[in-house]
Amino acid sequence: MSIAAVEQVDDGLWSAIGDPTRRRLLDLLLIAGDSTATTLSEQLPVTRQAVAKHLGVLDRVGLVRATPAGREKRYRVNEAQLARAVAQLSSVGSAWDARLQRIKRIAEAIQRTQQD
Amino acid sequence: MEYGTIEREIYVEASPEIVFEVVSNPDHLKEWWPDDARYQPTPGSTGEIVFGDRDAGGAVVPFTVVNAQPPHTFSFRWTHPADEVAAAGNSLLVTFDLTPSGGGTLLKMTETGFREMGWAVAVLEQQYQEHVTGWDFHLARLAPYVATLQVRS
Repeated sequence: MSIAAVEQVDDGLWSAIGDPTRRRLLDLLLIAGDSTATTLSEQLPVTRQAVAKHLGVLDRVGLVRATPAGREKRYRVNEAQLARAVAQLSSVGSAWDARLQRIKRIAEAIQRTQQD
Repeated sequence: MEYGTIEREIYVEASPEIVFEVVSNPDHLKEWWPDDARYQPTPGSTGEIVFGDRDAGGAVVPFTVVNAQPPHTFSFRWTHPADEVAAAGNSLLVTFDLTPSGGGTLLKMTETGFREMGWAVAVLEQQYQEHVTGWDFHLARLAPYVATLQVRS
C-alpha cells in the first residue's frame, strides 16, 4: 500500500471516530456485540436512516463489519481497527501531554531562577 | 476530544512573560520538542524544526509563525510542504493561549487540522520520539539547562 493510501485510510479513521454519534454507536455495538440499524436507532435520538448512514461511514473505514440479516444488515465492531484508531488518537494526545509537562518544568525552573 | 482538534490545559507556576518565552522562542522550543528549531518568533516568519540529526537522515519539518502577541498568544503552522505557503488544509495549526492565574499562568494548547493532514506526521515524529519521551533523558537535559540559566543571571 502506498503512503498516500495509508494517509487516506487514517484521515477517514479520524473523521469517522471524531463524530459523537458515531462514537456512541461504537459504544452501543461494543456493549451489544452486534446490532442492526433499527435496534441501534431505538437507543439513540436519531432516525434509523441517520444511523444507517453513520454505520456506512464506520464500515468504509473498517471500524465495523456488516453481514446480511434478512432485509437488514447486522453490524459488529472490528476490534483490530478500533484498537488502531484509539492508539493513533492517544499517541498524538500523549505526545502533547509530554510536551506541555516539559514546557511547565522549563518555565518553572526559569521563574525560580529569577526569584533567587 | 472533538472533531480534528486536540485541546490541553496546564497550570504553570511562572509568569505569562516567562511561559510565552518558553513556548515561542526557538531556543526554548528545542528544549521541549524538536532537536533543532530555526525561525523568528514573529508573525509570518517561516522556518523549520528538525527531528533527529539534520545531516544524518533526520526529518526537517516546515514551521510558520501565524500570530505572536506577548504574553497572550502564540500560534504556528507546521507540516506544510516546504514549497507551499502554510494555510488551512496543508498544515497543523497549534495555538497557545496564556491567561494569568493566581500568580502563575494557565496555558491552553489547541492543535487542529488532523482531518486534512492525516497521520503521516504523527508516524514521522514517533520515529524520533523514543529518545525524547523518557524522563531520564529530560531530567538529564534539564539540569544543565537550568545551570546555564543561573550562570547567565
